[in-house]
This record gives sequence, C-alpha cells and structure tokens, in this order.
Amino acid sequence: MSTTLSGRIGVALALMAIVFLPMLIGGQWMRIFTSTACFTLAAAAAAFMYARLNMVSLAQVALMGVGGWVMLRLNHGTALPFEINLLLTGVLTAAISVLLALPALRMRGLYLALITLMIAGGLEVIFSTYRFPNGGTGFWGVMPSAAAPFRRPVLAESDGAYLRYVIAVVLIGFLLIDLHRRTRPGRAWAMIRRSEAAALASGVNVTAFKAWAFALSGLLAGLAGGLLAGALGLLDPATFRASESVLLFALSVVGGAQYWFGAVIAAALYRVLPALFNNAGIDPNLTLVIFGAALLHAITTAPDGIAGQIMGVFRGLTAWLRPKGRR
Amino acid sequence: MAAAEGAAMIELNDLTVRFGGVTALDAVSARFKAPVSGIIGPNGAGKTTTMNVISGFLRAQGSISAFGTDIARLAPHRRSQWGLRRSFQREQLADDLSVADNLQVILDALPGTAQEKRADLAQALEVTGLAARAQQLAGGLNTFERRLTDVARCLIGRPRLVMFDEPAGGLTQDETHRLGTLIAQVHGLTGALVLLIDHDVDLIQRLCSETLVLDFGRRIAFGETRAVLADPAVQAAYLGIEEAG
Repeated sequence: MSTTLSGRIGVALALMAIVFLPMLIGGQWMRIFTSTACFTLAAAAAAFMYARLNMVSLAQVALMGVGGWVMLRLNHGTALPFEINLLLTGVLTAAISVLLALPALRMRGLYLALITLMIAGGLEVIFSTYRFPNGGTGFWGVMPSAAAPFRRPVLAESDGAYLRYVIAVVLIGFLLIDLHRRTRPGRAWAMIRRSEAAALASGVNVTAFKAWAFALSGLLAGLAGGLLAGALGLLDPATFRASESVLLFALSVVGGAQYWFGAVIAAALYRVLPALFNNAGIDPNLTLVIFGAALLHAITTAPDGIAGQIMGVFRGLTAWLRPKGRR
Repeated sequence: MAAAEGAAMIELNDLTVRFGGVTALDAVSARFKAPVSGIIGPNGAGKTTTMNVISGFLRAQGSISAFGTDIARLAPHRRSQWGLRRSFQREQLADDLSVADNLQVILDALPGTAQEKRADLAQALEVTGLAARAQQLAGGLNTFERRLTDVARCLIGRPRLVMFDEPAGGLTQDETHRLGTLIAQVHGLTGALVLLIDHDVDLIQRLCSETLVLDFGRRIAFGETRAVLADPAVQAAYLGIEEAG
C-alpha cells in the first residue's frame, strides 16, 4: 500500500512526540498536551466525516462525553484492565453513535447537522443531570463528595508515560482513518460525497456506509473520551456541552479537514491557545474572537483551512526547489 | 426457464410517474430487444425520468422486467449489483478518487476474486484507452476523459443493462464519434443491452436499431429507428417539422 510524504512525516512526528514530548514539558503542560491529544482524535473524527462524506457532525465532543462516561463506569464498576475498558468504550460509543444517528441517515446538509446538534443537546442535559461516574453505586455510579481513584494503564501510570500512551492511541486512530480512506469504505464514501445517486448507481448501500462512518466517528470519539477520563480521573459535564461540539467542528474546518494535521491544529487551537492566553494573563475567552475571525477567513479564502495553506506553501517550495528542467 | 431468465429484453409496462399535478410519464410501455436502443424526445419529454425510474431513483406505477427479472422490486443499489450501469447527464465521478478507484467502487459491491476484478478493471481501462491514466485523480481529467471513465464504469462487473444519458453532451464532433464507437462495442464486449438518450439524431441513427420517442411523458413512437424518425408525429414533436394535414 503506497504512502504519501505527508503521511510518513505524520508518523515520524508522532513517534518523535512519543519519545521527546514528555521530556520537554512538565506540570500543567503535560496535562494540557494530553488533553490536546485526546481532542485531536475527536477532531480527526469530525474532520473525516466532513472531508470524506460532506457530513457535518456537531455531536463529536458530546460523543467524547459518552466515551468518558462509559470508561469511568467500567473503571469503577469492573476490575478489567484499562485496555479492555478502552476497547469496550470505543465499541459501545460506536454503537451508540450509530443508534443516535439512525434517524439522520437519510438526511443531508443542514438537516443532518441540526439532528446531530440536537443529539449533542440531549446528551448535555443527561451529563448535567446525572453527572459522571466517580465510584458511587447504582447505574449512574455517582457518589456525593469524594471520588474513587482511576486506574491508568499499567504501562503508563505517570503523566509523562500516559501522554506517550495517548499519542500512540491517537496515531492508531489516524492510521485507522487512513486505512478506511484507501479501501472499500473510502471509495464508497467518496461516491456518496459526489452524490447519493452516483453512489447508488455504483452499487453502494448508502445507508449502510453512512452508518459505518458514524460508527467509526463514534469509535474514535469514544476512545478520545475514554483517554480523557484516564487523563483527568474525573470528568466535568461542562467539558461536553453542545457548544463545545460546535466549536470543535468549526476549528476542524479552520484547521483543515482534508489533511491529518488539520485535526492537530484544531485541537491545539482548542486546548493550547487558551492555556497560552491564560499564562500570559489574557482572558482565555478572547480565543473565541480569534476562532470566529479564523472561521470567517477559512470560509471566505481558505476552504482547506490552515493545513491547506501550509500544504500550498509546501508545494510551492518543492516546485521552486526542483531543478528548472524538471519543472 | 431459459425464456424467463435469459430473454435478452428490457420491458417497460405502463410506467407512470406523477410529480404533484404534473404527469412526467404517462403509461409508457416499450420492449427493448436491440443491442443498442435509443430514447429521444424534446426537453421535458420524460427521457431522464424513464432512466431514473429504471435506476430506482423515482417511484413509478407499472413494472420493469429485464432479462426476466422484475428489477422494480430491487433497491437502487441492488439494481447495480444485478447488472444495471448508467451514466448521468452531468457525469458523477468522484474527483478525489483515481480513475481506477472510480471503477473499483462498482466491483467492491460485487462477488468475485480480487484477481478477476483486477482483470475486469484492466480490460475496461484498456478498451477505453484509460490504462495510462488509471492512477490519476478523476479531478484532473478533461471532459472527454471523464466521459470515457463513465463508459469504463459501464463495462465492468458483467453489466446486463447499460444506460447512457446524453453521453455526448459538451463533446466535439470527433470525440462524439469516438464515444459512439465505444458505445457500439458495449454489447459485443459484455452482452449487455444498451439504452441511449441523446439529442444528437445522427448519433442515435448510427448506434440504435430501435428507438422510443417520448413527448410530454407519452410514448409517441417506438420501433425501428429509421421508420420512427420518418414518422410525421415524431417529426412534428421532436424535429420541429409540421405534420402534413
């Protein structure tokens, strides 16, 4: 299977981040980068839905919340190892994602976006009402004050090791998306994106492949939520508000949904930029103004986002550096 | 049994489609037996509607029998798996897929070994002259190459019924001629029956031995192409020549 230069660079950067990043940062930045890595996976899921199928999912962070809930519940309710819990979290969130998306599978464009937003709104109400499991009893598993400890992977109990672990899972998630892009689902999604009539005329079962896309996006969001639960040990409903799902989708467009590093840019804008503002004594909420301006910029002049612009510069440079006779 | 399963024939029986108060197809019946048959008529006559009904994109009253199978009972994607191929007035290639992948997507849904599918795909690319462009993204093709890719998509996966909806739109005379030559080969290469919609009467005369003429959703003539085109009713409705008397 052929690989692109951009893909090879991506894998190399991820491996370098696994080795060096935890050595270079510490304290709160370790937690910020771990959280950024988790949101990178969720942004990648939203971006692939948009880039490959032209489907706008505004429930990605809410699905992360589902993943976080399942992970916490499994952690406190069972003695299973972290990896099994994470896998179950991904699979369950994928199933829930498909189930919630069933009414939306025949919808397109704005209507699909609105349905996913309503799903995010519904989940927000559930999270705020019932909170996240913290070791209590019963189905919801919530106890009033103190929380039981969270079991991280045996291999990654420290913050630094856990950051490495999360980046490795994010890398696997990206490779999974790429595997889909290059094989039967990717071809079917490309036809659906062109037009549903073209897909049907090609023998593509449009409903099944849309459901598959929701399943993959739910799986990745679930893994992201499960990893975030492992990073923080306890989740706050405010993290998974519907508005956060909208913001993450908008930032995926700003970052560039067509390219893998667009999701990294989106998550960095979402998590790192507010932290930098905070460190500089600037109100982190001001980032929303920057995001709004960036979205306007992306919609009007850079449809492939910041990643598209970086690729444009990269292509220009390689063309310029190439010997004249070969241009 | 052989007659029921193997009769190389497409039969439309009383197809009727209504959009609100408008009757887009009004009890249209025809039995296509020729290797290549034409469907002609003025704009809005119901030609593309007929293809969309056969594709399963529109619900219609009536029945469609192809090679003895009632394909109207099949879901649209199942009709493709059964052997229905079609092109669209505005070609519908996925620009971000390679030429080969635009063909492979059809084979993905069909049974067969990877080796058989590779051979099928290679033959379709060879026949259409696209072999050298197999790995190029469809977005980088010119109009004619895109039409050729459309034809290649109609050649693969053992098609039984192939429908071309104005395939020569936007092509030069030379390109139209080359495309016509390819379309004429489809039956010989695959055994499929071909239905062709086009406004180019020369192309229809050259390729189609039978032709159905529609006007305002009604069948106004059907039969041997030369006789149909000489029909005064057809000339009045389609060619703009007034009917004598």
